[in-house]
Amino acid sequence: MEYGIVFLPLVASIVSGFFGKKIGVKSCQILTCSFVSISAILSLIIFYQVIVSGYTSNKLIFNWIGSGNFYVNWSISIDTLTSVMLVVVSLISSIIHFYSIGYMSHDPHKPRFMAYLSLFTFAMFTLITADNFLQLYFGWEGVGLCSYFLIGFWYKKPAANAAAIKAFIVNRVGDFGFAIGIFLIFLFYGTVNYNEVFQQTPQLVQKEVIFFGIEFSLITLICLLLFIGAMGKSAQILLHTWLPDAMEGPTPVSALIHAATMVTAGVFLVVKCSPLFEYSQTALNVVTTVGMLTAFFAATVALVQNDIKRIIAYSTCSQLGYMFFAAGVGAYNVAIFHLFTHAFFKALLFLGSGCVIHSFNEEQDVRFMGGVWKKLPYTYALMVIGTLALTGFPFLSGYYSKDAIIEFAYLRGSTFGYCAAAVGIFTALLTAVYSWRLIFKTFHGKYNNKDNNLSSIHESPLIMLLPSLLLAIGAIFTGILFKEMFIGNNSTQFWNNSILFLHIFQHGHPPTWLLILTPLLVIIAIPFSYYLFVKNEKILKNFILKNQLLYNFLLNKWYFDELYNFIFVRTFKKVGLFFWRKGDINTIDRYGPDGLSRIVKTISDKAVNFQSGYLYHYAFVMLIGFSILLTYLILY
Amino acid sequence: MSEIGLGHYLTLAAIIFTIGITGIFLNRKNVIIILMSIELILLAVNINLVSFSIYLQNLVGQVFAMFILTVAAAEAAVGLAIIVIYYKNKGSIDVERISSLKG
Amino acid sequence: MQTIIYILPELFLSLTIMFLLMAGVFIKKSFKLVNLCTIASLAFAIVLVLNQADEITKIFNDSYIIDRLSIYMKILTLLFCIFVLLSSKDYLKINKIDKMEYPIIVLASTLGMIIMISSYDLIVFYLGLELQSLCLYILASFKRNEDRSTEAGLKYFVLSALASGLLLYGCSLIYGFTGSTNFEIISNKLDPSNTGAVFGIVFIIVGLAFKISAVPFHMWTPDVYEGSPTSVTSFFALVPKIAALTVFIRFMYVPFVNVFNQWQTIVIFISIASMILGAVAAIGQNNIKRLMAYSSIGHMGYALAGLATGTNSGIQSTIIYLIIYLVMNLGAFGCIFMMKRENTFFENINDLSGLSKNHPILSLSFLIILFSLAGIPPLAGFFAKFYIFMSVIESGMYTLAIIGLVTTVVSAFYYLRIIKIIYFDKPKKPFEQSYDWGLKVSMILSSILILIYFMYPSILIDIVSSVVIY
Repeated sequence: MEYGIVFLPLVASIVSGFFGKKIGVKSCQILTCSFVSISAILSLIIFYQVIVSGYTSNKLIFNWIGSGNFYVNWSISIDTLTSVMLVVVSLISSIIHFYSIGYMSHDPHKPRFMAYLSLFTFAMFTLITADNFLQLYFGWEGVGLCSYFLIGFWYKKPAANAAAIKAFIVNRVGDFGFAIGIFLIFLFYGTVNYNEVFQQTPQLVQKEVIFFGIEFSLITLICLLLFIGAMGKSAQILLHTWLPDAMEGPTPVSALIHAATMVTAGVFLVVKCSPLFEYSQTALNVVTTVGMLTAFFAATVALVQNDIKRIIAYSTCSQLGYMFFAAGVGAYNVAIFHLFTHAFFKALLFLGSGCVIHSFNEEQDVRFMGGVWKKLPYTYALMVIGTLALTGFPFLSGYYSKDAIIEFAYLRGSTFGYCAAAVGIFTALLTAVYSWRLIFKTFHGKYNNKDNNLSSIHESPLIMLLPSLLLAIGAIFTGILFKEMFIGNNSTQFWNNSILFLHIFQHGHPPTWLLILTPLLVIIAIPFSYYLFVKNEKILKNFILKNQLLYNFLLNKWYFDELYNFIFVRTFKKVGLFFWRKGDINTIDRYGPDGLSRIVKTISDKAVNFQSGYLYHYAFVMLIGFSILLTYLILY
Repeated sequence: MSEIGLGHYLTLAAIIFTIGITGIFLNRKNVIIILMSIELILLAVNINLVSFSIYLQNLVGQVFAMFILTVAAAEAAVGLAIIVIYYKNKGSIDVERISSLKG
Repeated sequence: MQTIIYILPELFLSLTIMFLLMAGVFIKKSFKLVNLCTIASLAFAIVLVLNQADEITKIFNDSYIIDRLSIYMKILTLLFCIFVLLSSKDYLKINKIDKMEYPIIVLASTLGMIIMISSYDLIVFYLGLELQSLCLYILASFKRNEDRSTEAGLKYFVLSALASGLLLYGCSLIYGFTGSTNFEIISNKLDPSNTGAVFGIVFIIVGLAFKISAVPFHMWTPDVYEGSPTSVTSFFALVPKIAALTVFIRFMYVPFVNVFNQWQTIVIFISIASMILGAVAAIGQNNIKRLMAYSSIGHMGYALAGLATGTNSGIQSTIIYLIIYLVMNLGAFGCIFMMKRENTFFENINDLSGLSKNHPILSLSFLIILFSLAGIPPLAGFFAKFYIFMSVIESGMYTLAIIGLVTTVVSAFYYLRIIKIIYFDKPKKPFEQSYDWGLKVSMILSSILILIYFMYPSILIDIVSSVVIY
C-alpha cells in the first residue's frame, strides 16, 4: 500500500511525460488523475489506520548508499505526522489534477503539465516519507525542481522564466544552509537516519562547535542551518521574494505547490525535527521571531497589492509565518493543524481566483474587476467560504487553527510567546481586511474591465467548480472535525511520539477576552472593509495621498527586491562579469580549453601532414621508429 | 688473410639487408625496384640463417631458409600481380605518383 | 596419427579451401554457394575448436600449442570472420566484387591467423603470418578496377613485406644466438646479456607492431583502411588484430619473458605513441573509414598498455579490451555498411548529417557504439578502458595511465563530433531502408552487447581470467 502511494504518481508521470504524445491527451489526463486519486484513497486508508490503531511502519525500498558505516536507505516510513502530510498532499494533489483538466483546456502541452504535477506529487511523497535526512533532501530538491518546471511552464513568457530562475536561486540559498546542516549532522552523529540522530541528541546538548569564529552549541547550529533551508522553501522573510513572483505559473500550480504543499515543507521539517529543536531554546526563539515578522510583513504588503494571485501569495506567506511561530513556541501540533486547514482553504482561494481569472480572460488585476458576483454565483460563494475560513470566522476551519496558535503562543508564557500572540492578533485583523478587500474589489462595486463585456463573463466549467467545492467542504469542516484529535487534551496520544514535546503546555484556560478578541476583530473587519473599499473609497484615497510614503513602501513590498537587487544581484553581476571576461575568457579559456584545443588541432594537422601518401615516407618513418627503439635498447 | 668465418657472413647479410631497406625508401622511381629490394632483404635473412645453421651444426636454420624461399616466391607473385593491376588502372608505376590516399 | 586430432580445425579449413576452390572453378556464378559454404565451414571449425581438450598440449616437436589462450582466440577469430562475411554480403554484391575467390581468400587468411595463434615455433609462426599477409594483400586490392583499392593493396604489400623482412631478420638473429626456433628453448636461452638476441627482439617487435598497426609502424593503416573496399576494411579492423595481438602476447610472455625489462619500455613507448596519435590525428578526418583507422590505432595503444604491465591481470585486461574493441568495431562497421543510397555507399562523415531524423534506430546504435568507443560509462567501452587503467595503475605506471586518460578525453572529441553531426545537423536525403539481415543482426547484436555489458561484466571476466600465461 505504501509503495502504491509513493510510486503510482511516478509511474503516471513517466508514462504521460515520455509517452504523452503516443497515448494522447485524454488518456494522459485520465491516467494521472486516476493514479493520483488512487494514492489519495490509499493515504486516507493509512490515515484511518493511524487514527484507529496508531499504525506506524518503515518499509524499505532498497539500500541506497552503503559505504563504511554510513548507511542510507530508500524507504517509506509512516508515522502520525507523515500520515497527516500524506493526506494533505495526496488529497489536494488529486483535486488539483482534476481542476487542471479544466484550467489547462486551452493549453497545447497538457501531457507535460500533468506529468510535472504527478512528478511533483511523487517528489513530495519521498520528502514526507523519508526516514533519513538524505532522502528528505532528495525529495526537497525534487519538489524544488518540479516547482521550477511548473513556474516556468509557459516558457515563452519571459516573466515566467525569470520567476522560475528566481525561485530556484533563492531556494538554493536556503538549501545551502540545509545541506550544511545535514553535513554537520553526519559529522557529529555519524548517521543521517532520523531515529539514530534523535536518540543521540540528548547526549550532545552540551557540545559546542566553532563556526565562523563564533562558538555555538552544536544543536543550535544544526537547527539554525536546517531552519535556513525551511525558510527558503517556506518563503519566510528574507528568503520570501520568490513566492509572489512564482505566481507567474499556472494557477493550479500556485494552488498545489505554492500554497498547500511544497511551501509547507519547511514547517514539516521543523516539526519533524522537533526532537532537535526542543533542545535549543535559541533556535526556537529564532523560529518564533522569523515567523512573527513574516506573518506581519506579508499581511501589510498584501493590503495594497493589486494582482489577485499576489495578494493570496502574500497571504500564504503570512499564514506560513503563523505556522512557524506556532512551532517556535513549541506548539508543533498546532502548527501542523494550521498547515492542515490552511491547505484546504488556501487551495480553495487559489482555485477560486483561477476561476475568476478564467472568467475574465486571464485578467489578474483586481482594479479591473468588480461587480460580477451575480454573474459568478458559484465562484463567489466558494471564494467567500475560502475567505471566511482564512480570516478565522467562527466555526470555520481557520477559526480553530489560527486562534489556537494565538492561544498557545499566549499560554507559552514567555516574552516571545506574548509578543507572538500580540502580533498574531494584529495580523489576524490585517488578514481580514486584505481578504475582504480582495472579495469586494473582485466581486462588488462597479464593473471596471474594458477588455471584456460584462455579458461575456461566464461561470467556469463544472470540472473546475467541483474540485473547488470539495475543497470548500474541507475548508468548512476540517476545523471542527479534527480539532480535538490534533490539538485537544489527548492529542499526544494521537501524535504517538512522532513529535517531541519537552515543555508541555499547562492546559489552563487562556483569559476569556483573548478568546473573544480575535473573532470579534475579524467580524468587525467585514463591514469595516465593505465601507472602506466599496461604499466610500474617498477616505482611502485621501489616506493614501496623505501617507504616500507608507503606501509606496508597502506597494513595493518593503523594497526587499530592490534591496536585494542592489546588494546581491548587481554586485554579483559585476563580480561575475569580471570573472567571466577577465578570468574565464582571457585567462582560463585562453590558456585552458581553447589553448589546449588549439595545441591539439596543431598537432593533429601536423600528424595528418605526416601522412603524406608517399610510400618512401612511410617506410622511412618505420625505419626511424625502429632506429629509435634500437638506439634506446643499446643505450639502456 | 684470415679464414672466412661466421662474422663475415653476418656482415655480408647485414650489408645486403641494409641495401634492401635503403632501396625501399630511397628509390623514388619504380615499384619493381622495391620488389627487388624486398627480395634482397629476404636473401640477407637466408644468408644469416644458413650461416647460423652451419655454425650451430643445426639443420633448422636451413629448413627455415627453404620455407622463406618458397614464401618469397609466393610473395613476389602476389606483389607482381598487384603491380600489374595497379599499372592497368593508372598507366604508371612511378613511386612518386602513388599518393592519392593521404591525410 | 594421434596428433592429427589436435589440428582438426586447421586441417578441416585447409581442405575446405581446396575443395571450395575447385567447386568455385567448376560451378558458374558460385559466389552465393561458396560464401554460404565458407560461413558454414567457419561455424563448423568453431565447433571443432570447442571440442579440443581443455589442457595444454604441444605437438609436432613442440612447435604447435593448444591452450586456453589459443582456443579462445581461435574462436574469436572464426566468430568475427563469420560476422564480417555476414555483414558484407550486400556490399560485395553492389560493388560487383562478389567473386567466389573473396570468401576463399578470407578463409585462407583466417587459416593463417589460426596457425599464428597456435604457433610455438618461429617457423610455424612465420608461415602462418605469411599465409594471412598474402591473402590480405589480395583482399586490399580486391576491387581491382579501382585506383584507390589497388593503391591500398600496393602500399600494404610493400610496407608489410618490409615489416616481415625486419621480423625475419630478427628471427634469424634469435635463431643464431639461441640455437633454436622453439619458443620454450628460446625463452630458456634468452637473457639480457645475449646482445645479439636482444637486438633480434627489437626487430620482431617492429614486425608485430606493424601487424597491429601501432605507432610508428602504423603508416599503412589509414591509407589501406580508406582505399580498400569497406568489407575488407571491416575485416582488417577486426580479424587480423586478434591473431596479431595474441602473437604479441605469446612472444612477449613466452620467448621474451626473461628480457621483460628490455621490451617493457619499448612496448610502453609504442603504446603511448599510439594512444596520442590515435587521439590526435583522427580529429581532422572527414572519411569515416580513415577515422576508424586512427581510432583503431588508438585502441591498440590502450591494449598494449595492458600488455606492458607484465602481470596476468594486465594481459587479461588486454584480452578483455580486445574483445570489447571487436564488438564495438563490428557494430561501427555495421553502421558504415548502412550508409547506402541508390547502390552507392557513402564514406564521408558529412553524409551522416541529420541521420537521426530519418533513421532513429540506426542513429541510436551509432550513438551507443560511438559513446562506447569514446569510453563513456556505463557502456562496455568504458569498462574495457577501466580494466586497462586498473591494471596499469596496479603496476605503478602512473604516467602511462595519465597519458591514457588524457588521450581518452581528446579522442572523445571526434566521436562526439560524429554524434553531433548525426543528431544536430541538417538532415540529408534518407538512406535506403532495405538491409541485409546478416548486417542488421551483427549491428544490433553489438549495440545490445555494448549496452548491457555493465549488467554482467563478470561473465567475460570469469572466462578471460582462466587465461594464465605464466
